Amino acid sequence: MNPALLPLAVALPITGAVAAPLLSRLSSRASLIASLIALVGPAALLATFAPAVYGGRLSGHALGNVGPVRGAELGITFTAEPFGLTFALLTATIGSVLLLYSLSELGGLASHEAGWYACLTQLLLAAMIGTALTADLLNLFVWFEVAALASYGLAGFFLERPWALEATFKMMILTNLAGFCVFVAVALLYSGHGALNLGQLERSLSGGVRTADVVALGLLLTGFGTKAGLMPFHGWLADAHTAAPGPISALFSGLMVNLGVVAIARLTLDVYTAGRTVLPAILMVLGAASAILGAALALAQDDLKRLLAYDTISQVGVLLTAVGAGTMRAVTGLVYHLVDHALFKALLFLCAGAIVHATGMTRLSQMGGLARHRPIVTGAFLVATASIAGVPPLNGYASLGLIHDSLRAEHPVAFGAVLVAQGLTVAALGRAAYLAFFRRRDDDYDPLERMRPGMLIAFGTLALGCIAFGVLPNLVVSHIAAPAAAVLLDPNAYATIALAGSTRLTLTVQSFDYFAPDELLISGACLVAGLLLAFWYVRRSKEPIVVTGLRRLHNGSVNDYVAYSALGLIGCTFILLAWRR
Amino acid sequence: MILANYLVAVVVFALGLYVLLTRRNLIKIVMGLSLIESSTYLLLLSMAYRHGSTAPVMLNPQSGQTEQSLAHGNIADPVLQNICLTAIVIGVAVTAVLLVTVVRIAQHHRTLDADQVRSLRG
Repeated sequence: MNPALLPLAVALPITGAVAAPLLSRLSSRASLIASLIALVGPAALLATFAPAVYGGRLSGHALGNVGPVRGAELGITFTAEPFGLTFALLTATIGSVLLLYSLSELGGLASHEAGWYACLTQLLLAAMIGTALTADLLNLFVWFEVAALASYGLAGFFLERPWALEATFKMMILTNLAGFCVFVAVALLYSGHGALNLGQLERSLSGGVRTADVVALGLLLTGFGTKAGLMPFHGWLADAHTAAPGPISALFSGLMVNLGVVAIARLTLDVYTAGRTVLPAILMVLGAASAILGAALALAQDDLKRLLAYDTISQVGVLLTAVGAGTMRAVTGLVYHLVDHALFKALLFLCAGAIVHATGMTRLSQMGGLARHRPIVTGAFLVATASIAGVPPLNGYASLGLIHDSLRAEHPVAFGAVLVAQGLTVAALGRAAYLAFFRRRDDDYDPLERMRPGMLIAFGTLALGCIAFGVLPNLVVSHIAAPAAAVLLDPNAYATIALAGSTRLTLTVQSFDYFAPDELLISGACLVAGLLLAFWYVRRSKEPIVVTGLRRLHNGSVNDYVAYSALGLIGCTFILLAWRR
Repeated sequence: MILANYLVAVVVFALGLYVLLTRRNLIKIVMGLSLIESSTYLLLLSMAYRHGSTAPVMLNPQSGQTEQSLAHGNIADPVLQNICLTAIVIGVAVTAVLLVTVVRIAQHHRTLDADQVRSLRG
C-alpha cells in the first residue's frame, strides 16, 4: 500500500469528531453512527497495510512530501511499521466496538450530549492512532496534548457527579505537569541536535548521549510515565477510571494508558536504544514495583472500577518490565501482552460499567448473586478474569508465558516480582468475581434493565478476541508480535523509515511452546496461590498492615500526588545522570 | 545576559512547583500550573536565542539583503519559537478547561479547599 495514505487514518476520525456535534442536531443516534463509520474506515485502511508490513516491508512517508534534505527532516513523517500498526489497528477496532457499546448503553443521552461524547471519543482515538504512526517528537507532543484534552472532557463527562469533577481536576493537574515535561524535553533535544525526527535523533544520539539528552530522557519518562500510569506518576489514574462512564473507562484503561507504554517503548528501544543509558534498569525497577503494589492495592478495593483501575497500573508495570528487559523474547511478549491487555481490560471495564448501569451500585460489598441475574455479564467477566489470570486456552497465558520465559534466566528478581504480581492479580480479580457474582445476597434487586444488542455484540467481540488470541499463539507470535519486536529492536531500520525511506526487516523465527511443562506449572502455581489468597482475604478479619499503609499513601490529595510525580522526576533524572554509560 | 533568562525560568518553575505542593486553594493550584507553563515559555525562547541574534523575520528584507542571506545570517531559531507558540495556544485551552472544572467544583462542594474535595482515595 502507498504510505501516503497513512495520514488518512488520523484525518478520518478527526473529521468525524468535527461532524459529530453538527450531526447531533439531526438525531442523537446520527452522530454516533457517523462516528462508527469514521472509525471503521481507518481500521479497514490500516488493515490493507497489514500484509506488507507484517511481512517485513517497512516504509515511511513525509507529510506533504516535504522530504528529508541531506538526512535532515523538519516535516512530520508517518511510518508503516508493525509495532505502530498493531497499536493503531487495535485502537481503531476496539474503539469502534466501544462506540457501538456506547450507542446502545448511552442511548438515553440527549442529542447534544451524544454529539459531544462522540466528538471527544474520536479525538482521543485519533490522538492514539497518531501516536502510533508518527515518527516526529513534536508531533508526539501534540498527540499527547490532544489525547489529554479529550480525556479531560470524557472523564468529567457527567458534570453532575461531584466525584467526576474531582477526578478530572486531579487528572488535569498531573497530566498537564506531564505535558510540560514532554514539552521541555522536546525543546532540549531539538536545541541539542537540531532534530525533531525520531530517526534523525537516533542517528545523532549514536554519536554520544550528552547531559542535556539525559535530562530530556528523564522528562520524557515522567511525561509518558504519567500517561501510562507507571508508579510513582500514577496518582490520577484510579480516580479518573472510577469516575468516567463504563465505555470510557474501558477506553482509558485498554487503550489510552497504552499510549504512554507505546511512546516509552519506542523512545527506550528505538531512539535512545538499550545500551546508551540506564533507563532499562529504571523501567525494570519501577515496572516491578508498579506490578506488585498496583495488584496489592487492587486486592484491597471495595469499588469494582477502582479495583480494575489499580489492576491496570499493575499490568502496565508488567509491560514496562518487559521493555526494560529488552530482549527479543521479552519485547515479543510486550507486544503480545499489550494487545491482550487492551482486549481483556476493555471487557472487564465494560462488565463493570454494565453492572453499575443496571444496578446503580459501585461497591462490591453491596453487590452479590449477580450470576443469576446477569449470566452474560458473568460469563464475559469470567472469560476476562481467566485471561488475565493466565488460564491456558485464553490469551493471557501465552503473552505472560513469553514474558516469564524471557525474564527467568537473566533477571530472576524481576521474574519473582512479576510472579508475585500475577498471584496478587488472580487474588484481586477472583475476589471481585466471587463478591459480585457468586456470593449469596438475601434481598432481591429491583428489576434490572434489559441487555441491548449493541452491548451483546461488544461483549461477544471482545471475549472472542480473548479466546482467538489465546488459541492461536504461534500465529500471533510469528506474524504480529515478532515483526513488531524486530522493528523495536532494530533502531537502524526504524531510523531509515522515520526519514521517509523504505527497508526490509530481517525476521527471526519466534515460537511459543504451548505445553512447556514449566510454564504450565508456573501458571498453575500462580493460579492456586492467588485463589488461596483471595479465599483468605475474603474471610480475613482486618486489613493487612502493608495494604493499609499503601492505601494511606493514596489519600486523594492532589498536592501529594504532585509530590510523588516530582520526586519520581527528580529521582529518575538523578539516577540517569549518576550512572551514565 | 541570557544566563539571567535561564535562572529566571528555573526560579519561576520552582515557584510554580512550590505552589502546587503547598497550596490547597484550587485557584492557586491552577495559578501554580500557569507559573510552570510560563517558565517553560521563557526557557524555550532563551534556548532559541543565539549570541547577538535578531528576530527571525524574513519577509520584506531591507535593500541589499535577500531572504536567503537573512536565513544564513544571525537570527534566533524560529522552530523553537513556533513550538512555543503552539504550546501557548494549548496552554490557553487547558487553563480554560481547568478553570471551568474549578467553577463546577465550587458550585457542587461550596468550597475551594482541595482538602475538602477528596472523596476518591485509598
